[in-house]
Amino acid sequence: MAEIESDQLQRASLDETKVKNEDEEEEECILQFLDSLDAYLTLVDSLSSSLRQGWFDLASARQSMGHTRISSKLFDHKVHSASTTINITELDADNPSDPKPQFSLSKWATTKENPSSEVPNNSNLRHRAPTGVLEDDEKSNGTQVSSVVSNDIQKERSKSLTIFGGLVSPKLRTAQVSFETALDKIVEIANARSSMLSSFSQLQLNKKSSS
Amino acid sequence: MYGFEALTFNINDGYLEAIVRGYRSGLLTAADYNNLCQCETLDDIKMHLTATEYGPYLQNEPSPLHTTTIVEKCTLKLVEEYKHMMCQATEPLSKFLEYITYGHMIDNVVLIVTGTLHERDVHELLEKCHPLGMFDSIASLAVAQNMRELYRLVLVDTPLAPYFSECITSEDLDDMNIEIMRNTLYKAYLEDFYKFCEKLGGATAEIMRDLLAFEADRRAVNITINSIGTELTRDDRKKLYSNFGLLYPYGHEELAVCEDIDQVRGAMEKYPPYQSIFAKLSYGESQMLDKAFYEEEVKRLCLAFEQQFHYGVFFAYMRLREQEIRNLMWISECVAQNQKTRVHDSVVFIF
Repeated sequence: MAEIESDQLQRASLDETKVKNEDEEEEECILQFLDSLDAYLTLVDSLSSSLRQGWFDLASARQSMGHTRISSKLFDHKVHSASTTINITELDADNPSDPKPQFSLSKWATTKENPSSEVPNNSNLRHRAPTGVLEDDEKSNGTQVSSVVSNDIQKERSKSLTIFGGLVSPKLRTAQVSFETALDKIVEIANARSSMLSSFSQLQLNKKSSS
Repeated sequence: MYGFEALTFNINDGYLEAIVRGYRSGLLTAADYNNLCQCETLDDIKMHLTATEYGPYLQNEPSPLHTTTIVEKCTLKLVEEYKHMMCQATEPLSKFLEYITYGHMIDNVVLIVTGTLHERDVHELLEKCHPLGMFDSIASLAVAQNMRELYRLVLVDTPLAPYFSECITSEDLDDMNIEIMRNTLYKAYLEDFYKFCEKLGGATAEIMRDLLAFEADRRAVNITINSIGTELTRDDRKKLYSNFGLLYPYGHEELAVCEDIDQVRGAMEKYPPYQSIFAKLSYGESQMLDKAFYEEEVKRLCLAFEQQFHYGVFFAYMRLREQEIRNLMWISECVAQNQKTRVHDSVVFIF
């Protein structure tokens, strides 16, 4: 009799612990979701402000150089590879019902083949472009290489502005940096959204299992 | 008074001087700009401009308006006024008025050549050309592969032909070569215009000497600042500076070796007229430099109207109208982008 009671007490305490753990897990999921939502909204606001600044700088450049020199009629229609590409990685390949894609930018791809900047061999990687200079490589290769890479990036930036002429106003370069920042923010927003959707689906799963 | 212009000027050119002074009184005032700066939409701007001399050009434009439409219609007014003066002018005023348009002609040539290099349709590019710089064979520019062909096939029969002697090469056209061609042509044009005004003599020479020297100096500063951090070498940069002006030759020597905006400031502050311009800027800043130069230019252009019996008033009027169109473009952009707090960053009041 005493054994049965002790078993029952043990089971009750285990159940209580289990419920407590489930509650804690659910709270953690809610917090994660709210954090990712907050990050998403902050990034959207920041993107809006970067784009606004970029368009204003472009108008200033047009004021400085003349409206005929900065115009969509001068865009290059020749076929050429994209200077910036996006890489998509699936983080949770073991759970196909809850995919969590992670986005990253490869900015200012060089036209030459560069063996040191090979894309890592990852079966989940979807890469739609020729080899690019991954900015993450700068941290592991030291300051000398990082200054060479940043010079290359500066050259690519200047090269992309030559559609408006060889000598452009500093205001146009400022506009370019603003739009580049906006592009970085768009990728961060995509990652924040992916994290937010993943937290939300986790919450829904927890809710279903608890009910 | 520099000579005996008062005795003979009005025989051939008195009517047109009166016309251009009448045109000048139609320029927008500070009150007009204050009204425009308070507009909420481009339609409000159109409504305010309808009450000015731009009215007939904008009143039939349908909504929604675009900033480029406002600029195009305002430019049409300038073109009509120019054509009216041109058809009434006799030599040497007609030649002087033609000189005023050569800058636009150079810009149009570069636009067509650059657009063709980028495989754009030539008809699209022709729509974007400035009307004052059009000439008959401009569409044929799309055929040329290098500068020699450009000259031989098209430009040999245009007023720009004499300016090509320094930039005829068989190198294929690319973005940097085209930029060098633009600046070399403009340099040759300014020097030729300067010599023409000197030959005219009298008040015209005195007033145009100052205005063209300022233009040459401003171009030298802009070329320097825009070429910082590019592949343009110091020697190539120096070759693009005009051979006259306050900065010629010692200022050019210093500007040619400048590597940042503070070095440019150091070179320019040695010249009192430019010291006041750079005094308006803080160190390391170049954003307000354009506005500072435009303000100085407007001041000099307005002073040209203080004297009579010279051709400088025609040049000054055309430039003041172009500044007015730039002001309208800037105000329209600020209103369209909801950046009204920044509208005074680039508006230059004329009166």
